[in-house]
Amino acid sequence: MLSPNILEKRLQIAGILVILGLLVEASCLFWVRPLAFLLFVFLGVTLLAAGSFLYLYSVVSIRE
Amino acid sequence: MTTVLIVLLIALTVVLVAVIVVRPGLTATRGGKMMAFLVLFALPILCVGMGGAAQLEHSKSTEFCLSCHIMQPYGRSLHVDDPGHLAAAHFQNHRVPADEACYTCHTNYAMFGGVKAKLGGLKHLYVYYLGKPPAPENIKLYEPYNNRECLHCHAGARSFEEGAVHTADPELLPALRANKTSCLSSGCHSTVHDVPGLKDAKFWKAGG
Repeated sequence: MLSPNILEKRLQIAGILVILGLLVEASCLFWVRPLAFLLFVFLGVTLLAAGSFLYLYSVVSIRE
Repeated sequence: MTTVLIVLLIALTVVLVAVIVVRPGLTATRGGKMMAFLVLFALPILCVGMGGAAQLEHSKSTEFCLSCHIMQPYGRSLHVDDPGHLAAAHFQNHRVPADEACYTCHTNYAMFGGVKAKLGGLKHLYVYYLGKPPAPENIKLYEPYNNRECLHCHAGARSFEEGAVHTADPELLPALRANKTSCLSSGCHSTVHDVPGLKDAKFWKAGG
C-alpha cells in the first residue's frame, strides 16, 4: 500500500494521521461530555498536528 | 446545524486526503501539490478551528456540566420546589437559559472572563479524571461569588433597582454595585445550591 518513493510514503503517512485526527474530531462533536473535549484536544489535535507537520517536513526536505 | 456543517467539512477533507493517500503520485503535478497543501495543512487547520469553537460551545451546556457525577446533585438542586432557592428559582423561571444554566451564572463577566472560566473548567477536568475530586457537598468556589455576575443581568432591571428591600436602605444598592455587600452571603439570597439538604427537599416535577 505504501509507496516505495520516500516522499510519497511520507505524504501517505501524513494523510493517514490527518484522517485519523479528523475521525476523532468528528466523533467527539456528537458526544457532549468532558471526555470528548479532552479527546478532541489531546488526541485529535495531536494526530492532525503530527500529520500536517510530517507533510510540511516532507515538502521542505525534498532533494531535487 | 453548525455541527452538521463541520462534520460535512471534515468528511470532505477526509475524502480528499484519502485521494492523496491512495494516489500519492498526484502530488507530482502543480495541481496535486496545491491540493496536498490544501488538504494536509489548510483544511485540517480550518477543521480544528471550527471543531474547537463547537467544543467550546458544547462546554457551556448544562448537559456537559452535569455529565460529571459529582455535579449531579447541583443539577438536582435546580429542580427544588422552593422559590427561596436562588439557583432553582433562576432555572425554573428561565431567568437563565435552561440549556446553559451553569455557565450563565458561573462564568466571569470581566474582560477575558470567558477564558478564565475555560481555564477553570480545564482544572476541573484535571481534578475529575486525574486528581481526587471532593464530595459534592464539599465543592467550593475558588473565590467568593462576585456581584458582577448577578448585576450582568439585574443591573438596570426595575425589579432590582426599585425592589422594596433593595431601596429600603439607600446605602445598599451602591454597596451591591461596588461588591462591598454580597448578594449571596449577606443573608439575603444565601440559599443557592443546598446540596446537603437535597434529601429532605421537595422537587418540581414538571422540570423533569
